[in-house]
Amino acid sequence: MSAASSARPGLIRPRRNRARQVRRIILVTLLVLGGLLMMLPFLWMILTSLKTRAEVFGGAPLSLPSGPHFENYGKMWNALPEVTFGTFFLNSLKLATLNTIGQLISCSLAAYAFAVLSFRGKGPLFALILATLIIPYQVVLVPNFILYRLLPHPTSQSGNWIGTQEPLWVGAFLGGAFGIFLLRQFFLTIPRELAEAARVDGANPWQVYRHIYLPLAKPALATLAIFTFMWTWNDLLDPLIYLRDLPQYTTTVGLSLFQGQFVGKWPEMMAGALVSLAPMIILFIAAQQLFVRGIAVSGLKG
Amino acid sequence: MTRSVPPELAAPPAATAIRRGGFGRGGPRRREGWWALLFLGPTLIGLFALSAGPILASFGIALTDWDLLSPPTFVGLDNFAALMADERFQMALRNTVFYTVVSVPIGMVLALGLALALDQRVRGIALVRTMYFLPLVTSTTAIALVWLWIYSPQGGLLNTIIGLFGIPAQKWVSNPVLAMPSIIAMSVWQGLGFNVIIFLAGLQAIPQEYYDAAAVDGAGRWARFRQVTLPLLTPTVFFTGILAFIGSFQVFDQVYVLARPGEPTKATITLVYYIYQRGFDQFKMGLAASASWVLFLIVAILTIVYFRSQRRWVHYQ
Repeated sequence: MSAASSARPGLIRPRRNRARQVRRIILVTLLVLGGLLMMLPFLWMILTSLKTRAEVFGGAPLSLPSGPHFENYGKMWNALPEVTFGTFFLNSLKLATLNTIGQLISCSLAAYAFAVLSFRGKGPLFALILATLIIPYQVVLVPNFILYRLLPHPTSQSGNWIGTQEPLWVGAFLGGAFGIFLLRQFFLTIPRELAEAARVDGANPWQVYRHIYLPLAKPALATLAIFTFMWTWNDLLDPLIYLRDLPQYTTTVGLSLFQGQFVGKWPEMMAGALVSLAPMIILFIAAQQLFVRGIAVSGLKG
Repeated sequence: MTRSVPPELAAPPAATAIRRGGFGRGGPRRREGWWALLFLGPTLIGLFALSAGPILASFGIALTDWDLLSPPTFVGLDNFAALMADERFQMALRNTVFYTVVSVPIGMVLALGLALALDQRVRGIALVRTMYFLPLVTSTTAIALVWLWIYSPQGGLLNTIIGLFGIPAQKWVSNPVLAMPSIIAMSVWQGLGFNVIIFLAGLQAIPQEYYDAAAVDGAGRWARFRQVTLPLLTPTVFFTGILAFIGSFQVFDQVYVLARPGEPTKATITLVYYIYQRGFDQFKMGLAASASWVLFLIVAILTIVYFRSQRRWVHYQ
């Protein structure tokens, strides 16, 4: 912004320009320092995960480890009986992937109906879906738990869905207010003439959805995918409520279990935290623009 | 550079008109109704089985005493009376309000300042922004473990740092006075990037001409901030505020990890933690459901009050 105004020579005299330069350097320096402060917990986590316990409690906190003690990762990985941390990791990966696929399919279908098709009751139905967005999710915790307890399950010990992973992903295939709203807004920006021309040529709504809207909506679909993946990966409350046995646990529930297992064993705990954070950090660095645009446009809760 | 305001930021979603179908009346439209049913099938099932339906059911459950083992018995509003008399519930309510009242304003002011500072074209600014944004994608569970270690009375980073300034070591999470502020500090750190992103989008949507006009009129930096930036940013502040407020009323993960496993002390129990504990630890479904309705009512009432207030301080362009 200030770069744009300083480009006009008439308005700003050289001396003020110099003062502005100095001020900007100070500002950027402060920003970088603040950024490093923001990164401090990550640095602290990485350093700790590579230290021995003696170093953690003996040496200066931000000192380098005597060598990379990767054995902490091995100890963390095999800390629990009968399952490794890899099981938790794969469970999280499976659930996040299923949720992402489910949301992409079900939300894009519904969003297409709201954006393109005309049918009776469209307005009120859309308003109802938006209303569920405003009501805190916790209100449905109890009734959903009771519902899943009533549903029969062929392989679970309880005979119902409690103690299985199903409550953690099946719902994703049944729509969601955030995704529907996000995709509908995007679909509305696609010129209707495209759909109408295709209809005149004999395409049915499914073909219009499949061959015109979906390909054009890739950026919005990617945004929804990335956020669904993140929410599922990071979710703690639902897995805590529905999962009963170690082999089903996600990384979040597994990590919260570590707290009890590893009292005072910070290197192992930090190794676990780092491993469970790594996928999201990599995803963020690879797709920062998608995250930022998604939040800026729709205020998705991160 | 001017970017268009995302429609959701400029106007509440409900205000965006719902488009009418472009096809003629009669036949095609009626056929579209069947297509719509197909496209909306999964969503309709979800709406009635998992969201709208359960919301109604939840109100019914709140009026019962139900442990899931024996059939529910209707108890009227007894659960709500029990909540009001429950000391843990009062604590949960008080702590949640404290968390919200402290973390939301601090988070917003910090984010606004940061967004103003980050809103410039300098080489490498993207990298600097990444440093502020990164915490927001982290799982609260994992990052709270890191903060638990930062706060640790033995060997923790924070005590070491304040030790350099001669401040005695503190028990950050087990001291009831410090526990909630410690949780808030972590939450502010984690959520900062989210608000910064929205503020940056708001700042970049302010047309440069306004600043130019103010500069021609001889307005200094502070005057431009007070008379151009701030008023034009109020819709963004409003929007960010509502999200931050609703989110902070649902705080759970931080408390679950930081405030001693399983049993947060009275100093840190929050509303959602209370719901979790009563419902899924003790299987008092009626009590948990009624607590979730109290949560909903508080959020709803304050949201309405907040929306009413916007006429007085939010300026739309």
